[in-house]
Amino acid sequence: MSNDFVYVTYIYSTPQKVWDAITKPEFAKRYWFHYNVSDWKKGSRWEHQHGDDSGKIMIDGTVLEADPPRKLMITWTRPDKSKEPSRVTFDIADDDSGLVRLTVTHDQLEHDPAMAASVSGGWPKVLSNLKSLLETGKTENIWLTKNKEG
Amino acid sequence: MAELTTEPTIYVTYIATTAEKCWAALTQSAFSKQYFFGQIIEGDWRKGGRIRYRMPDGSEHIEGEILSCEPPRLLRFTWRVVAMPGLKHLPDSIVSYRIEDAGEGVIRLTMTEEHPTPIDERLLGGGRSGWPAILSGLKSLLETGAVPKIAPPTPPQEMLDYMKEHGV
Repeated sequence: MSNDFVYVTYIYSTPQKVWDAITKPEFAKRYWFHYNVSDWKKGSRWEHQHGDDSGKIMIDGTVLEADPPRKLMITWTRPDKSKEPSRVTFDIADDDSGLVRLTVTHDQLEHDPAMAASVSGGWPKVLSNLKSLLETGKTENIWLTKNKEG
Repeated sequence: MAELTTEPTIYVTYIATTAEKCWAALTQSAFSKQYFFGQIIEGDWRKGGRIRYRMPDGSEHIEGEILSCEPPRLLRFTWRVVAMPGLKHLPDSIVSYRIEDAGEGVIRLTMTEEHPTPIDERLLGGGRSGWPAILSGLKSLLETGAVPKIAPPTPPQEMLDYMKEHGV
């Protein structure tokens, strides 16, 4: 049994808005708590910075592939490098009906079961909140009452 | 030889609604028609009662027995595909919807599709492509009131291969 994590969500939005929500800090802060900083070019470094603006790095890695607004693939590394990196792929598809299918695949987690457990709980929160924000303009109040992984 | 599996499919979504509204959306046909690809849910909402999903034309699609019915928190039932004769030999799956409070005005809905009797792993693709579409639509409906227009995803090729082998 694989511990790859795959999550699919359909969002009434555009591929560009979904891409911006993942890659732009001002946007990500609204639904992800933390946010992502990079120039999003292949080979560049990216950082998952703490939402309190302290600059604390929660996760970092390398951009493996960037094809805006369709596909982003990054390594997902603990800042202390205590475990082998895992990998996250965002696939953004649409069908011209105003509906985007976002698929997040978090794989190569074999070396880090604790991370696998954490992200499998975190991605549904983050991606549910992203869908709410893009469809309703509002986020859900899940962060204040539950843990803030992801 | 095909690989057999008991691996469950689990889908979790957070929805800005109440447990009662989510329960209503899961169990009332006025809602299911809007997000479950037009299908009509019917149930005798008690343990041991029957549950059905009918196609928009009224024909039976899914039929099962309710194993747990605890409104507005837990619905668990056996799941038998009766629409396609070639799939009638399959063992029952078990589907459950669990609704938990997850914040102020937010619930967590967990759908679990279990396979207590091992099935051909190629069949898992149907649920893995279908549930995200159904439950994304449910979330949109409850949060925005707009009727979702998510089309049923095309079944994965491996599932189509299985169905061809079994004359479906």
